[in-house]
Formats: sequence, structure tokens, C-alpha cells
Amino acid sequence: MRFNFITIIAKRSMLILSMSMLLLCMFIYSCTTDPEITNWYNEDEYAAGGATTLYEATSGAFSTPAPNLSATAFEKHMAGDVSFESIFVTAPATNNAGLGPIFNDVSCVRCHTLDGRGDKPSVFRVSIPGTDAHGGPNPAPGFGGQLQDKAVFGVLPEGKVDINYVEEFYKYPDGSNYSLLRPVYAISDTYISLPPGTMLSVRAAPPVFGLGLLEAITEADILAAADEFDLNGDGISGKVNYVWDVVSATAKIGRFGWKANQPHLDQQTAGAFSGDMGITSTLFPTESAYGQIQDDGMGDDPEIDFEFLDITSFYTKTLAVPAPRGLEKPNVMLGKQLFFEIGCENCHRQKWTTGIATGIPELSNQTIYPYTDMLLHDMGPGLADNRPDYLASGSEWKTRPLWGIGLTAVANGHTRFLHDARARNLEEAILWHGGEAEKATTAFKNLSAGERAALIAFLEAL
Amino acid sequence: MVNTQKILLSSLILSITLLPLSSCKEDDPTDIETYDFQPILNHLAQHVITETYVDLHAKSISLVSAVTTLQTSPTAINLEAARQAWRDTRKPWEQSEGFLFGPVSTKGIDPSIDSWPVNVVDLEAVLGSGAVLSKEYIDGLEGTLKGFHTIEFLLWGEDGEKTVDLFTAREFEYLIATCQSLESNTNELQNSWNVSGENFQSEIAEAGEDGSMYVSQKSAMQEIINGMIGIADEVANGKIYDPLSQLDVTLEESRFSANSKADFIDNIRSIQNLYAGLYMISGDGVTTFIVSENSELNALVEAQMQNAIDLIDAIPGTFTEAIFENPDAVTAAQESVRQLQETLQSQVKPLIDAI
Repeated sequence: MRFNFITIIAKRSMLILSMSMLLLCMFIYSCTTDPEITNWYNEDEYAAGGATTLYEATSGAFSTPAPNLSATAFEKHMAGDVSFESIFVTAPATNNAGLGPIFNDVSCVRCHTLDGRGDKPSVFRVSIPGTDAHGGPNPAPGFGGQLQDKAVFGVLPEGKVDINYVEEFYKYPDGSNYSLLRPVYAISDTYISLPPGTMLSVRAAPPVFGLGLLEAITEADILAAADEFDLNGDGISGKVNYVWDVVSATAKIGRFGWKANQPHLDQQTAGAFSGDMGITSTLFPTESAYGQIQDDGMGDDPEIDFEFLDITSFYTKTLAVPAPRGLEKPNVMLGKQLFFEIGCENCHRQKWTTGIATGIPELSNQTIYPYTDMLLHDMGPGLADNRPDYLASGSEWKTRPLWGIGLTAVANGHTRFLHDARARNLEEAILWHGGEAEKATTAFKNLSAGERAALIAFLEAL
Repeated sequence: MVNTQKILLSSLILSITLLPLSSCKEDDPTDIETYDFQPILNHLAQHVITETYVDLHAKSISLVSAVTTLQTSPTAINLEAARQAWRDTRKPWEQSEGFLFGPVSTKGIDPSIDSWPVNVVDLEAVLGSGAVLSKEYIDGLEGTLKGFHTIEFLLWGEDGEKTVDLFTAREFEYLIATCQSLESNTNELQNSWNVSGENFQSEIAEAGEDGSMYVSQKSAMQEIINGMIGIADEVANGKIYDPLSQLDVTLEESRFSANSKADFIDNIRSIQNLYAGLYMISGDGVTTFIVSENSELNALVEAQMQNAIDLIDAIPGTFTEAIFENPDAVTAAQESVRQLQETLQSQVKPLIDAI
């Protein structure tokens, strides 16, 4: 169900008039039988993750095993839970050896707090102009594809990223104020000189639940949703990233990461072990510091075996998706209606049905409500990192899933959002949307304060 | 004129939008609470949880003092006093592991207090370096180079048999600095829950009220029960099972100090404290609700908690020895904790879920 009111937005007073009429009609009978608004309530949407849904709004909202796992799958998941929390130390060591020598952190869960979202940047991607042999980012000589800002004792970190926020003040059309924090990044204290033209992309850790379901969406379904050249003329050009798959040694659809630069969770996980912790695996057996003057040269690679990688990846595939709360509340229903009407849902696609998840029947054929189209979109200069990643341009990002987003405070203790955690709350996150989302953002700004609050109440209910 | 018209219209919309929020409240099925958990939540947050952290912080101050005395006067008696101060500090920490939610997890405090394993390679390298071993220096290190297990490693040595003459001047400096760092981390933790500090306890005590992090009292109760189940699971299926099933002493958490049995017992006491509503001061706990629903279940939970403590305590010798010499006793203890976990999961939690 898509209502396209966008054309009306040019005539703002008309919109306000018609909206107010609509609202009047809606609310007069909203407590009893009004079909107009109750049409926006669908009980099925509580099962956001299909049979993997968790009906709890606690700190465990992102870190609970899917309730439908078989005994065997549950056991593997719990083993992966230990791996995900494993803290790595400098080799040689009896347990969890192999940290670094350069790294961004010491365990998965240190950045993915309670399997959720980080409240600050933790990973710093770097590259120089051009591409690597597979069309991916061109590693910065001496630094690779990522700047590791920590190191084991006696080794120098590659450098650090200084973050300064400039607060900018704005007004909504209705006169109310808001402000945004614009980050300014600079690399300093590098162990050798940075190559000229080094590009930097600063990233916070995204939540890791529900990923197996997203992996189980069929390639055909994603391709069917893509509209790279905006042939339907809606101003939105969903684009597929094609990225290098080290397992099959072919280019595959990118599904994971802020720029959809990883084809599957095994590679996403192995990439994080390698880039973030300096842990080599069967997929990435070469140290992130390889070829640099600080490489440990220990020859102990891979530092984790395939099983360790497999269970860690499996863990992220089989975490429960938390259910929404209070979808039947009138302001949440209104917020949902506005979410569709102003065009948010054009990219934050509500619903998918998964295909077959190989080896994990619990994830197969599930109707899910992730609110992502799995595609890249131009988000405008405000959010741009100006660092291309395969086919993703310097201003393109993958639509983030919104499921569970309202539980960030209770599960992760903060409400920082977007790729570098610059937004201090959901409202700011919306307001940063530019590029293809500019029209929807403008429409959001033109809503009344009550309507804006309703839209946010809907997001908080997810 | 147009602007005025818009503002009028906007405020009209706003007032209309807000109207149903209050008028429909009774119709909202998610807001129906058939049990008032507030007294339980209030007591657990204010007394059991916050007081455990206050106690932890107080004990960590004594630990700093004990290791300082050890440096000034390195005698066998002062070494034992420092080790006892570590055990005394460890106790409230282990008794806090039944509620590992809130700031301890979200503010990254846990890794600074209780990271495992110790990064022995880097620890030796730091000790062998010229780095000034101040509290500030330790604060900047990874969790695997500070906190309980690093202090434990320094006080007992890898084989647990370190004598006072084996301590170097650098080790004393490291020990004092890392205990000071622990003290500031436990202070941050108690401050994050304290009414006089960041007052996280109000999130639990006022669950379900407007602006609360927890959408309902039920959610906060689920948080408490999940914490209890989580630590029972960790003790049964991790802390005891892993070293036992793999016969691998390096997987034992408090191996250097041979304190594992005490750790396990204090973890079960953490469950007991939440259940009974008891830490220093007695009040409402999970039992208050369970008794009103099913007194037989209440008796079962109480018996199983005590049984688990008794069977862990009955393991002969140290845990390290027992996994080889008395695996049956260890298995019996593990099984008793697993039974408690099962009861909490399949009988206690559903009563709260049903509210």
C-alpha cells in the first residue's frame, strides 16, 4: 500500500488543509470504529522476524537466540555466542591468541554492544583513488583498507581519528528549532606518512540481529526491487552493489555493511575479525598488517579455524528479531501512515518474504518486516563519506533496517544513529537524510509538530 | 496572514493528535497490568542492585589500601591480607552478575572490571618497559591488562603459588595502579545507579511510567528474571561445564586464586538476592510475586537455589583439582544449577510473561 502525496507538497497550505481535514475525520471516531486509521494497524506486523520474533522489550532485545531454533541450531548458536564475546589477547597465549598486532577493538561485542549499535565511531575505512583488482576500494599503501587506531604493546597504532562536532542550528517551517551535529574528521599521529589523497570513512557498529533473514532474501527479489536508473520516475534509484566474494571468487550482490560491500555473513564476519581485531581466518588468512613494517611475522595464521568463524557467523544469522510494541496506539498508527505517505517506505521497505536459507530452515520462507530495500541510495552531500566502495559512490549508502530501532535505548543505553553515530536521536537521523530522501525529509519538516512526533513514535514502536 | 493561518491549523492538528492519546488509554491492551510490580522493582533497584554496587566500591577502596600496605611492607601476612581484600571485592562483583544489564553493559564498564583472559604477553612487556605505571596509564589500557583477573594474576602468579619475595618493584606499582583503576570503575558503576548520581535505578523503579526506558513494569521484571536465568546458564553451561567437559584448567575463570567455587556460589547468591529481595536490607523480591501465584513453585525455587549452593560448596578441594579428581561432585553441582535455570526459565518466567 503506497500513497503518494508528494506531489501535493509543493502546495503546502493545501497539504496542511487537507491533512487537517483528514486528521479531523480520523480522530473523531478514532477510539471506536474509524476504519481510516485502524487500516494502518496490522496485527501480523508484530511478528517482525516471522517465527524468529522475540516478544520482549528488555536489554536482551538484540541478543536473544531466535525462539524457533532446533536443539542442534540452538547449541551452535550458544557456542557462537561465546565466540562473539571472546576477548582476544596478544599471541602466544593459551586462550584467544592472535590479537592485532594492530586493531580497532578486542572482541565483537565491544563495538556491537549487546549485539546492537555502537554509540560512537569504532572503525575507520581508508583508501586512495582507484580500485583494487576486483573493483573494490584501493588500499592506502602502508595502511590497507582500514586505519587501526590501537595496537598490542610495543607496536604503534596506524594513527588516530580526531572527531570534532560542529553544532548547526535550524528551524522547521513551523518555526520550531532543531540542531544537528556535523562531524569533522582528521587523521593524526600516523605511524608513517599518510599517502596523498587518502579517503576516510568513519563507521559505528550496526546491530547484528536478524541478519540471517536478510541473507535469505532471494537475489531475484532484490533485483526486482532495484531501479538504478529510476525508470519509474519516482526520484528514487535503488541500486545493487556488486562486490567480491572471496569464497566463490566471483562478484556477488552486496548485502551487508553500511555500503552493502559484503556479499554474505561469513565474509562480513571474517572481514571484521581481520580488519577490526587483527584475527586471521580461513577466509582472510593474511594479517591486516601484512607487508607493513610492524607485521608480527609469526606465521601462526589462520588464528581462528573455520569452525570458530562459522559459529560466530551463525550466531549473527540466528539472533531473534524483537517485536514492535503498541502498534495499535493511535499516534503510532498515524506515524505509520505518515511514514508511508511522505515516502519513507519507498526505501525503508516494510515487508519481504525470505527464500530458502541453506542449512537453517528456521529462517526459510519467513514473512519479515525489516524496513529496508537492501539497496544503495544517494543520501546527499551531508551524509557522504566521499569514499567509493565497489559500485557505491561516495554519497551512496545501503538502506538500514529499522526493525528494533526503538529498543536502542533499553538495549544499548543510547540513541545515536546513522553510519557514524552522529545523530543524537531518531529525529536528527531523519533530518540528515538528503539526496534521494530529500523529498521525504522536506515533507517531514513540513509536518506539524504533532505529526512529526507521531512519526517518531512509530519508529520507537518498531 | 498565511503564516498565522498555518500556525492555527498546525496547533489544531496538534491538539487533535494528542487528544486520543489520553482518551484511548483504557482500550490499549498492552497497558493492562494485573499485578503491581512497583514495590518489587523499587526495592530490587534501590536496595539489592544499587547496594551491591555501593558495597563493591567500598571493598575496592579497601583493596587499594591493602596492596599499598603490601608495597610498603611486603610480608607474607600483608600478601594474604591483599589476597583476602581481592576475595572480599570479588564477592559483591560476583553477586552482581545476576543483573548484568544497564550501565555495566552499555557503558562498557564490565570489560574494564572483569575481562578474561589476561593478556600475559602484553602484561610482561609493560612490566618490562619504562612506562610510568600510574592509574591514568592503566585506565588507558585494554580490559585484559587490568581488572580482577590481572590483579589476581599479579597477586597469586600463574601457578597460584607466588610468594612475597617474588614481587618486583614494578609489579607493586602496577598492582596499586590497577587497583586504583578498579576503584574508579566500581565508583562509576555505583554512581550510575545511585540516586545521587546518574540514577539508573529510577529506570527500573519507575518502569512503565512516561519517559521510562522500560515500556512496562512487566518489561522491567522480565529484565530481572532474564538476568537471573542468564547467570544460572553461565555458571552451569559455561563456567563449570567448559573446564569440566574439556578437562582444561585454562578455561577456569578464577584459577590463579583458586576462588572459582566462591565465584559460583556468589553467582547463585546473586540470584537468591534478587529472588528474596535481600542485600543488607530485606524487602520485596521476585518471591513476593511468585508466592502470590504459586507457593509450591516458590518453595521449589528456594530449595533449588540452596541446593545449588550446597552442592558447589560440597565439591572437595579446589575446582581445578576437582574436575580431575571428583568429576561426579562437579557434575552434580553443575546439574543442580542447570535445574535451577530450568525452573526459572520454564516456570517462573512464564508467570511474568503472562501478566
